Amino acid sequence: MKSRNVLFLIITAILAIYYVYCGIYLNNLGYSNAESLFYIEKAKIIFEGLGNRIKVMGLTSPILPFYGTFLFSSIDKGVLAPVIASGIGTALLFYVMARTLMQRTGFFYLILLVLLFLFHPGIMYIACSGKGIYLSLIFFFLFFLNILKFYRSNTTFHISIASICLVVLVFCDYKFIWLTLFFIPLILSIAIQSLNLSEKESIFRLFLSFNSPSLRRKLFSKTFALYIILFILPIASIVCYKLLNLTHANDLNYFLESPYATWNVLQDKLQYDQIATSGTSFLPSEISLLISIKALMFCPMILVAIYLFKDSTYQILTILTPFAFIEFLHIKYSEVFLNYEYYMIFIVLAYLCIMFKIHVVRRQGFIKFLLFALLIVQIFTGYYFLKNSNVLDEKNFFVALRDRKTDFSQQQNLDAAAALNSLPTNGKVLVDDAIAYPVVAYSIHTQQLTMPYQDEFAGALESPEKYVDYMLVATAKNQNTGYTQINNKYVDIIKLNNNHLRLRTMYQNDDWVIYQIVSR
Amino acid sequence: MSIPELLISEGFITPDDRERIENLSARTGQSFIKVALNFGYISRKNYERILTNADYKIEEVRTEAFDTEVLKKIDLRFADEQLALPLRIENGQVVTLMSDPSNQLFIDFVKFTYNYEPRIIIASDLDILWLSHKLLGESYVKSAVYELMNNDASSSAIVTFTTAQLIFIFVIIGIVAIGLVVSFKNTSIIINLIISSFFLVAIVFKLFLALVGSRFELHQAVTKEELRQVVDDEVPIYTILLPVYKEDKLIKKLIWNLQSIDYPREKLDIKLVIEEDDDKTLNAVRNLDFPAIFEVVIVPFHMPKTKPKACNYALHFAKGKYLTIYDAEDIPDTDQLKKVVALFHKLPENYICIQCALNYFNRNENFLTRMFTLEYSYWFDYMLPGLDTLDIPIPLGGTSNHFKLDQLVELGAWDPFNVTEDADLGVRAYAKGHKIAIVNSTTYEEANNEPFNWIRQRSRWIKGYMQTYLVHMRNPATLIKKIGWRGFLGFNFFIGATPVTFLVYPLLLAIFIMYLVFDLSGIRTLFPDWVLFMAIFNLMVGNILMIYVNMMAVFKRRFYELILFSIANPVYWLMHSIAAYLGLYELIVKPFYWQKTNHGISKVNNPVNVVK
Repeated sequence: MKSRNVLFLIITAILAIYYVYCGIYLNNLGYSNAESLFYIEKAKIIFEGLGNRIKVMGLTSPILPFYGTFLFSSIDKGVLAPVIASGIGTALLFYVMARTLMQRTGFFYLILLVLLFLFHPGIMYIACSGKGIYLSLIFFFLFFLNILKFYRSNTTFHISIASICLVVLVFCDYKFIWLTLFFIPLILSIAIQSLNLSEKESIFRLFLSFNSPSLRRKLFSKTFALYIILFILPIASIVCYKLLNLTHANDLNYFLESPYATWNVLQDKLQYDQIATSGTSFLPSEISLLISIKALMFCPMILVAIYLFKDSTYQILTILTPFAFIEFLHIKYSEVFLNYEYYMIFIVLAYLCIMFKIHVVRRQGFIKFLLFALLIVQIFTGYYFLKNSNVLDEKNFFVALRDRKTDFSQQQNLDAAAALNSLPTNGKVLVDDAIAYPVVAYSIHTQQLTMPYQDEFAGALESPEKYVDYMLVATAKNQNTGYTQINNKYVDIIKLNNNHLRLRTMYQNDDWVIYQIVSR
Repeated sequence: MSIPELLISEGFITPDDRERIENLSARTGQSFIKVALNFGYISRKNYERILTNADYKIEEVRTEAFDTEVLKKIDLRFADEQLALPLRIENGQVVTLMSDPSNQLFIDFVKFTYNYEPRIIIASDLDILWLSHKLLGESYVKSAVYELMNNDASSSAIVTFTTAQLIFIFVIIGIVAIGLVVSFKNTSIIINLIISSFFLVAIVFKLFLALVGSRFELHQAVTKEELRQVVDDEVPIYTILLPVYKEDKLIKKLIWNLQSIDYPREKLDIKLVIEEDDDKTLNAVRNLDFPAIFEVVIVPFHMPKTKPKACNYALHFAKGKYLTIYDAEDIPDTDQLKKVVALFHKLPENYICIQCALNYFNRNENFLTRMFTLEYSYWFDYMLPGLDTLDIPIPLGGTSNHFKLDQLVELGAWDPFNVTEDADLGVRAYAKGHKIAIVNSTTYEEANNEPFNWIRQRSRWIKGYMQTYLVHMRNPATLIKKIGWRGFLGFNFFIGATPVTFLVYPLLLAIFIMYLVFDLSGIRTLFPDWVLFMAIFNLMVGNILMIYVNMMAVFKRRFYELILFSIANPVYWLMHSIAAYLGLYELIVKPFYWQKTNHGISKVNNPVNVVK
């Protein structure tokens, strides 16, 4: 066991180095994405900013991936912290899966897992992009692992641990809160099965228990208790977090809806614009039911998992929950595309289920061959899905990975940041990081920036000449210009309000203009 | 006609019974009548009736004159076993109290020892016991009080605060006072952060323990199969101590519960331990109209008047290989003793104690009993197994802890100056290199259903935890050496943190209320936002986790209907805080005072917990 552990640790370390190397390599080519830049910017504010940093620290969302990056920000003050975090985090995902796997299966399945982690483009995306998906996957895996263990052991331990994992999962990606919806019927089914009845068929057990007052009471109490023990922690945590948002930002949903708190808001709006302006060209791949079929295509191994659990009602229902979950996400968030992350959960789930049940298969040779073949198929589908993704970050990553040529997608931000860095360090710059966070992430002198987290921002916005020397303004061409207060329209308004205000253009590119405020 | 013949002729015992009684008498050294009265052959009422019918006169003897020179020649144990006591020499005769006037062994003893014929006064066995223990028990009671102090002073709570501890406490108070004078705001911030963080860490530790414990909730320390293999003829003598004080209402219930225990009757050595001034209980035993199955031990008056002192005293008369303590209202699982015997056989030699789970039979009586049930459920079903798994000292529960008698004595038995002597003993056992195990058996008790009674009881427990903490932290370095770092940290977070958590809880709550509910500006000027944020975060998360731990508690016992009551835990904790402050006050002004808990006030019937 000890030697196995050492082996896992060695493979994990190798994977971590491999991912971090690839991530840094891609980063040096210029690849980056909204999420990682957002985390870098917030970490810079916390480390170097002047003002209400506690609010930034507590209300930046999703909070745990941000903290994951934050940990490594002390090692690297530049832009590599998210990549280091995701590289090491993905290696950790491997370690968690490998440990579980080796408790139940043999060496062949470890090799399959290593191959998956080495070559699956989705895993590479998670590990090298600097996104926080690795955390979601780790806790998604642990949540389902403990649920499956609970079915076997029926101990409070596993259901409590599952609940704690769900809390963490929700704070890694709030959308996972909707997963709870689909556990409602599942828990009723568990409670019915646990009643001491001679009848074996679930439907008849339900009928019997509903028609006897004492059984009905017992069923109700147990079902309710199970709901509570599984969901009270996530719900209470969310309520507390929302209250925290209310007390510190006067908005219960600040962490979900403010572009200052989360990177998702802006990205979702951009995607919405993309869908709205493109007519129906995205429809074929993004309609209900087809999403589930896409998930099956992405991860055919899940079919093997379903087959293995064919005689176990709860387990089958459990495997089907993520399908219902992604269908729900598609309906609930119809204006955005389903991210790659939500397909990746099926890979993790499929492996978990196979680990759990593979030992019961008699024809081990056949199943090994089948799984190996499916792994190859999955690597291909992973590649295909990434290539044809509608999400810009994913597409850019694929291009960067395939072509390994300099990525210019952040060039405008980089140039603007370079211009900011060249300004005198005692000059204050008015910046709205709702959309300018990439520029802040690339800039060096955070202390000279006046941003919304600071108390003087409102005053500076009203009368910039009194507070700042420069301002970073989004041009009309900037695709995010509608989501910031400091854009070309703002310039017209302040000029109108203050006839003495003179602005001199210090720097300009397609997305940004830096003005110097000449008259005071 | 001798008393045994009289009993047969009156039809109270059969010749077979007589033979059994005589055999048992020969084996235990107890007189015939003591065995007959204490092993359920005849009730005291019937015995009195027989004596009266046979023209014997039963006299009141408590105020009889006595001569210390006469008393010097008899040992208490012998008087106790024979239910007889020589008092004085009068008119060339030894005035002798006897429960059985035909007890030839004792008559011969008197003749041989004093060279006079006895003048027999017939008295109730209880009065003879009362007088014997009162007159002859001084050395025993002194040993019960001072034995631990004399042999292992560092483990005795007779000194509440050592000089070093007092210096430490006053230095801390001094530093805080200086800090407050020099920089009131910064010192307040530091104190706030320390107590709120401590609060959260202590609760997270409890959650961790509960999770570790819950992992093994289906583990059966003793399986049914192992239990079946316990043979009645081979089981050892088992002592059960029943320390009571003014529990007259519970005596009948007690006998009923004891009779249900699945253990050979002649292998049971049950002792009802009654204080000298507790006539209520003694009269309740006297007035029983059915046979008792326990013997009475009277504890002579000596301060402190605590349960551990009573138990230590009774220990002098215990005959078992194993020993356990039950409260008067306890309903142990019927197979509990056999399970313990089986488990002791399985465990290595260094395991000297086995703790059973405690729970309540009157859980649905009112809000308080429900909360108490939740608390006991997570404590005994999750926390203690968690401590056991992590090899951290287990604070024993008040009852149903089963000891190896000889090793209990070796350990110094209970500390009479500690008001949670059980918790202290658990830690002391670990510190001396022994181990404690948990068994899958439950004793049902009566949950306190009355708030003031509850606060009194809880204040004693919390005071006892403080005492235990102070005793074992007299020399932290030695404690670390004995129980290791893990045990040391566990001890600090479990025993030490428990009272502190209750003490700081209302302070945190006050800050929370001032900040959120009343929105006081004063508190904002004193504490910056980030401090308030942390304090409130710690309080909220701490409370949520504690509620969650309470919720977990319902699963093992399937008390699903109690799950929503967990939400009331913050209110329940306020009661704990009141009790904690009362306990702290008592620790300072009267550390050995035993707040008596009234039992027998529940209106719920307590069915015997027969394990099938």
